[in-house]
Amino acid sequence: MKRQNTEHRTQKSESKVKNYGMLSLIAFLLFTVHYSLFAVSEAYAMHISEGILPFNWAALWFVVALPFVAYGLYKLKKLSAVDLSFKPLVGLMAAVVFIISCMPIPVPTAGTCSHPCGTGISGILVGPAISILITAVALLIQALFLAHGGLSTWGADIVSMGIMGSFAGFLTFKILRSMKINMAVSGFLAGLFADWATYITTSVELASGIKGDSPFVPLFTKILIAFIPTQLPLGILEGAMTAGMVVLLYKKRPDLLVKMRVLKPEEVTA
Amino acid sequence: MELFSEYFKKDHILSRIDARVKLLVALTILIMVLSYKGFVLPALVTLFCLFLCITMKVPLRVFMLRFSEPVFIASIILFLKLFFSGKDVLFSISLPASHFSLFTLTGYKDGLMDGLMIAIRILGAVSIVAVMGLSTPFTEFIAGLSWLRVPKGFIEVLMFAYRYIFVLFEDAMVIYNAQKNRLGYSNIRRGLGSFSALTGSLILKAFEHSHNITTAMIQRGYDGNMPMLKHKPFKLSEVVVSVLFITVMGFVWKI
Repeated sequence: MKRQNTEHRTQKSESKVKNYGMLSLIAFLLFTVHYSLFAVSEAYAMHISEGILPFNWAALWFVVALPFVAYGLYKLKKLSAVDLSFKPLVGLMAAVVFIISCMPIPVPTAGTCSHPCGTGISGILVGPAISILITAVALLIQALFLAHGGLSTWGADIVSMGIMGSFAGFLTFKILRSMKINMAVSGFLAGLFADWATYITTSVELASGIKGDSPFVPLFTKILIAFIPTQLPLGILEGAMTAGMVVLLYKKRPDLLVKMRVLKPEEVTA
Repeated sequence: MELFSEYFKKDHILSRIDARVKLLVALTILIMVLSYKGFVLPALVTLFCLFLCITMKVPLRVFMLRFSEPVFIASIILFLKLFFSGKDVLFSISLPASHFSLFTLTGYKDGLMDGLMIAIRILGAVSIVAVMGLSTPFTEFIAGLSWLRVPKGFIEVLMFAYRYIFVLFEDAMVIYNAQKNRLGYSNIRRGLGSFSALTGSLILKAFEHSHNITTAMIQRGYDGNMPMLKHKPFKLSEVVVSVLFITVMGFVWKI
C-alpha cells in the first residue's frame, strides 16, 4: 500500500514536471517567435551583443584585437603623411562600411533580413590593416548609438569582422587575381569567404564565451548549425554584392583601383 | 537613419554630467556586471537604467529598438543553454507526445540557471551602454575618448566617419528610391544588382567627398592634424557622487 502510494506520488510529480516543462517550452517559443517576427525585423548574426561574453573572454579578444588596430593606426599615420586626403578617405570608408552593415537584405532561406559585413570590400580596397581600423570605427559607432554589438564585445567583434573578414577578403582576392582569375569571380569569392570567416569566428567566440563547464566542440557545432540558415545564403549574397561592387568600380573608375593598388596599371590598359 | 544619441534630453540631470565622468562610471559598472557571477547586480543595474530611461522620457519605440536585439539574442542563448547544456534534468518532453515519439527534448536545470545568468548579464550591460548613449552627444563622447588618451588618428577617423554617415546615408536613400521606382528590387537577381550598384556608388562618392573635403580643409589651414576640444576641470560634486555610486555597486559586487 505504502509502495503504491509512493509510486502514485512519483507519477504525479513526474507529470507535474512534464506539464511545467511543456508550459515553459510553449512560453519560451511564443516569446522567441514574437520577438523574431514582430520586434526584430533583422537577424543580427554578425555582431556579438553587449554582455554575452564574460569579462575574461571579452578581455582576451581585446588583447587579440589591439595589436592589429595599433598596426592599422601606424599604417594610417604613415600613409596620411604622404597623402593628406587619406585620413578623410579612411573616415568616409568607415561611414560606407557602417551604412553597408546596417542595410537589411532579405535572406530567403531564413525568412528574415540580415546585414552584410562590408569588410570584404574594404579589405580589397584599402588592405587588411586599414580595413581593421575602419571596422573598429564603424563597430564603435554601431555599439554606442545603434545597439549593434557592444562596448564589452568590441574586441571580439573587431576580431571576427575586422581581422578575419578583412584578411579573408583581401587574401582571397589577391591569390585569385595572381592566378589570373577574372574580377567578378575573385570579388565573389572574396566576399563569400570574408562573410563565412566572420561567421565561423563569431561562432568560436560565442561558444567559448557561453560554454561554462560544458565542452566547447558540441556547443560550437550547435551554434554553427544555428547560424547556417542565415549565414550560408548571406555569404553567397555578400559574395555577389562584392563582385558587383568591384566590377562597377573597375568599369567606372579603374584609376581608383590602380591608386589603391588593387590593380596594376598594365591590367587597366590591357 | 536614427542614432540613439539624437534622443538625448538636454534638460535631464544625466545629460549635464561631464561625458568623461559618465564614460568612466559606465566602463567600471560594465566590468563589474561582466565579472559578476549572479543575478543581483545585473538586475539592479538593469532596473536603475530603466528608471533613468523613463525619467529621460525615451520614446517606447526607441526603447524597443534598442533592446530588441539583445533580448532576442538572450532568448536564443537561454534556449541553447536550457536544452543543450547541463547535467541536472529539469524536464523531458517527447515530441510528438505519443508512444511513437520522434525525439525527446530534455531541459536541464543547471543549463537554465546558466542561461538566465547570461541573459540578465546581457540586459544589465546593454542598459548601461544605452543610458550612456542616450544621455551623451557624440562630440562630447569623442572629447571623453581623447581625454582617455585614445590615439588621435583613431579619433580623427571616428569624427570623419560620424560626420559623413548622414551625408552618405542621404545619398544612398536618393539612389535607393530611384532604383526602387525603376523596379530595381522586383526580384532577388535585380535586387542584388541594384544593391551592388548602390554600394559601389557609395564607395565612389566616398572617394569624391574625401578629395573635396581635403581641398576645403587645406584651404582652411589643415596640415594633417585636427584640433580637439579642450577639457574643462572636473566638478567636485560629480566626482564625489560617482565615487559613491561606484562604491555602493562595488559592495553589491563583493557580496
